[in-house]
Amino acid sequence: MSETATGRGWAEQDVRRELHSELLEINMGPQHPATHGVLRLLVRTDGEIVHGVTAHIGYLHRCAEKIAEGCDWRQWMVYTDRFDYLAPINMNFGYAVAVERMLGVQVPERAEHIRVICAELQRIASHLIAIGTFGLDMGAWTPLLYCFREREEILNILERLTGGRMLYNYFDIGGLRFDAYEGFERDVLDFVNIMEQKIPEYDTLLSYNKIFIERTADVGVIDVATCRAYGCTGPVLRGAGVPFDCRKDDPYSIYDRFEFDIPYGEGEQGTVGDCWDRYMVRMREMYESCRIIRQAVDALPGGPVKAEDLKKLVKVPQGSLYTRTESSKGEIGYHIFADGGSKPFRTKVRSPSFSNLHVIEKVGPGMMLSDLVATVGSLDIVLGEIDR
Amino acid sequence: MEATAIHALLQSRFGDAVLDYVDSYEKGSLVAAGRVGEIATFLRDDATLGFESLMSLTGLDWDGYDATGKGKSVDILGYDELGRPETSDRVGDGDLGVAYALYSPRHGHKHTLFVRVPRAAPEVASVAAVWPTAEWHEREAWDLVGIRFAGHPDLRRILLDDAWEGHPLRKDYAMPGAWQGVPLDGRDYAAGKWTEADVTLPDDVKRPEDAKLPDTGNQG
Repeated sequence: MSETATGRGWAEQDVRRELHSELLEINMGPQHPATHGVLRLLVRTDGEIVHGVTAHIGYLHRCAEKIAEGCDWRQWMVYTDRFDYLAPINMNFGYAVAVERMLGVQVPERAEHIRVICAELQRIASHLIAIGTFGLDMGAWTPLLYCFREREEILNILERLTGGRMLYNYFDIGGLRFDAYEGFERDVLDFVNIMEQKIPEYDTLLSYNKIFIERTADVGVIDVATCRAYGCTGPVLRGAGVPFDCRKDDPYSIYDRFEFDIPYGEGEQGTVGDCWDRYMVRMREMYESCRIIRQAVDALPGGPVKAEDLKKLVKVPQGSLYTRTESSKGEIGYHIFADGGSKPFRTKVRSPSFSNLHVIEKVGPGMMLSDLVATVGSLDIVLGEIDR
Repeated sequence: MEATAIHALLQSRFGDAVLDYVDSYEKGSLVAAGRVGEIATFLRDDATLGFESLMSLTGLDWDGYDATGKGKSVDILGYDELGRPETSDRVGDGDLGVAYALYSPRHGHKHTLFVRVPRAAPEVASVAAVWPTAEWHEREAWDLVGIRFAGHPDLRRILLDDAWEGHPLRKDYAMPGAWQGVPLDGRDYAAGKWTEADVTLPDDVKRPEDAKLPDTGNQG
């Protein structure tokens, strides 16, 4: 590993002194393809070296937490869809689990299995976008088209299942809104069979592409201590070499029944916690998701999909609880305060991308400008979830 | 470690600053707002506790929460059928507060810290130096609930515009009828009651452009 190969190395080079020029402030965004939505990064640069990054967020703010205080417990589910619009099912899941834990409701077996299948399909769909657009940021156009091809299949299944293509509003407190259609299992298995063959295809197309490795290995290293301090979770934390996953380490739903591994970064192409590691964690997670889906489909029982003893207008007894689940981006937490009424008293959404983006202000300085684009791309942020 | 043991440990160490044990769905401790900083440092650094991870920091308005406790808390103000902001002569009088959801990756236990501050002087010690992730969460709590964090490096609005007035997540927050001279009800616009000339931009607004960038000391 040469010194100049790391993003950090450039700023420490002696040559910098001679080439020192006036600092220039430039805007990345709010509408820039490399920023994944309406994010504005104010970057202070000296030539191509980044000296400071300030993130300006809030362009998509809808104050969903205020809206929650005017809805009843079930009604707010539809707003959770709109946080991470690339993985709405994962957002639904977190909120459903949080309220069910407070109510002490037992979700029927069939509903739990369909939930897990949907959540894992959604995770694959979200990771496909993450990988495709990350490739796009690095100048690789083609993988995006392949990724969208497979994502389309997932959207078709979820559309048949829920009626929506992007925002599903499928989960309900105590179960699902309605049962799966006939032939759902077959569709899912057909997809998984194809998907498992496609993953090696992406590897040859992008993961082990020489140019791609040059652009991502040793770039934007985020170590474990930084992850912990800045609250980074999901693929960012796992990319730093920590096999932590809420599905295993803080189990919810029925994830403890399935056999799956947690991929983590090992610095195969460079340093542990670089962009390539974060990218590869997502790639391997898609394979693990396929494994979970197979097991869930095998074990899918019949029966109801709604908890029957639950009233239409639920009332959660007074108290508070922080519940976290694993979305495709990381730990989605709902800190819910109930006052015993039919509406949430206060619902705080701790979104994974919010903390994952914050770390850019810490690791950004010292990088080359093009590496900043790579790092932001590798964090896989969704602004709908950051701004809420 | 059990939550009761964590609470007892905090009590033996900080005495009066630890006010109460909170036994809810989650277990935690109610602590004094001014001493959150040192309690947080202890929670993170003590070998038997090891709370290295601040999962979430929530700012909230307790107004109406304890008065009844039976779901009779005050209704928030919205817009009426005609799209005009609802008003009320009720004055919010409850405490404001902060909740810190902590997790120890080393030991696998959780604990939640609660803080209550009077509405008239909502100031809490910042924990941004202990858990840097709190920096943005505290800015959010200031933005939406209006809690001041003493010692925060850069406390300004994060989600709303810098010129926004009020803190929307307070229970007595009244929705605005207009934003910088532009009515939020589209009917006024359609009826021609509003023109470009009505737009008022405050000139003393601190725009994000003016915000100081952190100095990295890296300028050669």
